Amino acid sequence: MSRFRHTLIGRLARDPLAVMAIVIIAALVVMAVFADLIAPYDYTAMHMTDRFAAPSAEFWLGTDNLGRDTFSRLLQGGRIALTVGLTAVIISGLIGLVLGMIAGFGPRWLDNALLFFFDTLRAYPTIILALALAALMPRGLTTVIVVVVITSFAEYGRVVRTQTLSLKHSEFILAERAMGASFGRIVFHHILPNVLGPFFILAAMNLPVVITIEAGMSFLGVGVPPGTPSWGSTLKDGFDHIRQTPWLILAGGLPLILVTLGFTFLGEALRDQLDPKLRSGR
Amino acid sequence: MPKTAMHRAFPVLNRRQLLAGAAGVSAAAMLPVKAWAQEGRLNIRVYTEPDDFDPVDASGFGEALLYGAIYRNLIQYESGDEWSYRLDLAESIEQTSDTTIEFTLKEGQMWSDGYGEITAEDVAFTFERILDPEMNSRILPDVGTLSRVEVTGRYSGVFHFDEAFAPFWWIALPYLAGTIVCKAAIEDAGGRITTEVPPTVSGPYRVRELRPGERWVLERNEDYTGDIPAEYERLDIVYIGDEASAEIALEAGDLDFTEVSPGSVTRLQSNPPAGTAMSMHPSLFYVWVGMNMEHPKLQDIRVRQALQYAINVNAIIEAAWYGVAEPSTGIIAPGLIGNRPESLIPPQGDPQRARELLAEAGVENLQVTLNVLNDVTFTTAAQVMQATMAQAGIQLNIEVHESGSFWTLGVEADGDRWRDLEMIMNRFSMLPDPSYATAWFVTEQIGDWNWERFSDEEFDRLHREAGTETDDARRDEMYRRAQDIMEESGAYRFITHGVTPNLFYNNTVPGTRPDGLPLAQYFRRA
Repeated sequence: MSRFRHTLIGRLARDPLAVMAIVIIAALVVMAVFADLIAPYDYTAMHMTDRFAAPSAEFWLGTDNLGRDTFSRLLQGGRIALTVGLTAVIISGLIGLVLGMIAGFGPRWLDNALLFFFDTLRAYPTIILALALAALMPRGLTTVIVVVVITSFAEYGRVVRTQTLSLKHSEFILAERAMGASFGRIVFHHILPNVLGPFFILAAMNLPVVITIEAGMSFLGVGVPPGTPSWGSTLKDGFDHIRQTPWLILAGGLPLILVTLGFTFLGEALRDQLDPKLRSGR
Repeated sequence: MPKTAMHRAFPVLNRRQLLAGAAGVSAAAMLPVKAWAQEGRLNIRVYTEPDDFDPVDASGFGEALLYGAIYRNLIQYESGDEWSYRLDLAESIEQTSDTTIEFTLKEGQMWSDGYGEITAEDVAFTFERILDPEMNSRILPDVGTLSRVEVTGRYSGVFHFDEAFAPFWWIALPYLAGTIVCKAAIEDAGGRITTEVPPTVSGPYRVRELRPGERWVLERNEDYTGDIPAEYERLDIVYIGDEASAEIALEAGDLDFTEVSPGSVTRLQSNPPAGTAMSMHPSLFYVWVGMNMEHPKLQDIRVRQALQYAINVNAIIEAAWYGVAEPSTGIIAPGLIGNRPESLIPPQGDPQRARELLAEAGVENLQVTLNVLNDVTFTTAAQVMQATMAQAGIQLNIEVHESGSFWTLGVEADGDRWRDLEMIMNRFSMLPDPSYATAWFVTEQIGDWNWERFSDEEFDRLHREAGTETDDARRDEMYRRAQDIMEESGAYRFITHGVTPNLFYNNTVPGTRPDGLPLAQYFRRA
């Protein structure tokens, strides 16, 4: 039991912020995964006589402009958000991890070139870059993921590069080298494990950002096609029909607020537990 | 800093002053929104941005609204509930035979900025530019069989036609093609107006400034010599594509007049914003779903017919037009020559018949893509289509386009996207003559406005002959048959003509055509 207390999960379990984050995220994940079982209605079913219905026992979060149950659509939207979020974060994270380590370990000119590349990408306002890329590609979920990956991997690359550079010159790495450790051993046994802490913190903090980009693209009409129940589409429907009902825009915003809170709390809790400087200060 | 100096720099409020200030701000917030029209300025919203500075390149209602304010025609549409026109530049104009129209201009009608008097030379130059093949004018169909304009005097001339062309009076003279331009100014400009501010105008307003994507700022034309002088010192034609945003802008006092969405009609009728009124007009526009007959998926007529039967027009009207519009029977609205009493395929469609047609064609799991404008009415309609077509086993994918992208989808001159075009939901503006509807679907228009790439010899002949026919009963029969041919081709599913609900401030008397579209030059203070 005492060994569990000192594990990462054990430490997170004692952090109220982490517990709250995990509860929120777990609830969202469960609802998204079991959306078909939980949803009271088919998310495409139109109830034309109940358009713009307010929340009630029949429609828990009301209905949209075509009389579709908002709660059922938000559950499906959770699937889209998690699919886009997780896929994009994993892909962009991996790209950033590899490029960041190459930049950190590579020759100076390569480091400079990659750094220039990262900074160029990061200099563009994310949503403007997303709009420009979306205009060149067919509309759909794959495009959204590609756009999000392109707009976000540079941030991982930058962080991983900085971590790698600082570790590369640390004494224990110099000692390993002096003892003749191979390049692979240094990278996979020493650098990578030490880089992963900040990397996971960034990934956790970045997930809601990615989900918000998807929602923003759908809201602006360049994300998923109409009829796809993403949270951004629900927000857009709410905006289009704000004069008819306020519930749609409130319902569309609620999961975005929750997912942002959940993953931000988780990221902060992970940072508290994984950052050695913060841990020693506690 | 001495205390007195600090007091001057940072005025100190006591509690009483702060509360009084807050009360004042609150009271001000409760005052009714002041529309610009009270200040000698009028803001009219337009749903499509005028983007051509030269009438020979004009293509839509945005330009018509602008040109009505800054240019003049021989005759102009009257504002009101009945279609009629009034003499503008013309002192007289008369159909003297089936193939000639004689006109005489009013004397002393002036161009602005020192370009002198408007003469018959300007009239002839205007129409000859449109007829000139090198100008490649998109409004060439509007002038029909016009062959030339003869100048018989400084103020008089004769339009000569190869054959009779009755629509000339309704779709050319008072509209885009009939917008008289200044010969001297155009020649000075090298043959085309390419500047944002035209070198000379003749209407009650002149262009002060263009803010692309936002507004055309017009001001009173002090050189105007016509009968309807500018009512306002400044007139802004404000481009807002989205109707919901336009409603918000009007309620905030940034607009004086706008068309609103059908979905807002019930709410605005029962609870209009303070100081506003609403008017409803039957629209002449026509909305349809078109299928590209040359696309490999849609070359089999049975597949196109299956799509026609799979579309439930009633459901679309109920959802996207909130039941305030009626299903249409074709491209010609009720009240016009050629309106059909009913379509060949019932508005509710028939999913079972659609399945049978697909089975006959040997097509399974049909997936088609519908292209729509990024407009809430059209995206809603598309989603309803998606749901109802699924009942016939057809998967409908929806592609939404911004205005700029959408209006070039089927245009060959703008790239190769027309090759991949499968289905499109489209809306065309209309004038009170049926030839203005059929003109865009003839074979010659393929790759320009005819995006379905529909081609039928009988249709082309009917369009041509109906334009020269002077007997209304005969014309009526010909246009009905033309629409039957369109529908039988499987390339068209007619949806609605819609309605035009307008919202405006009570301090404005809008000038509108019978179909509700604004005529900027007629707006007056209440």
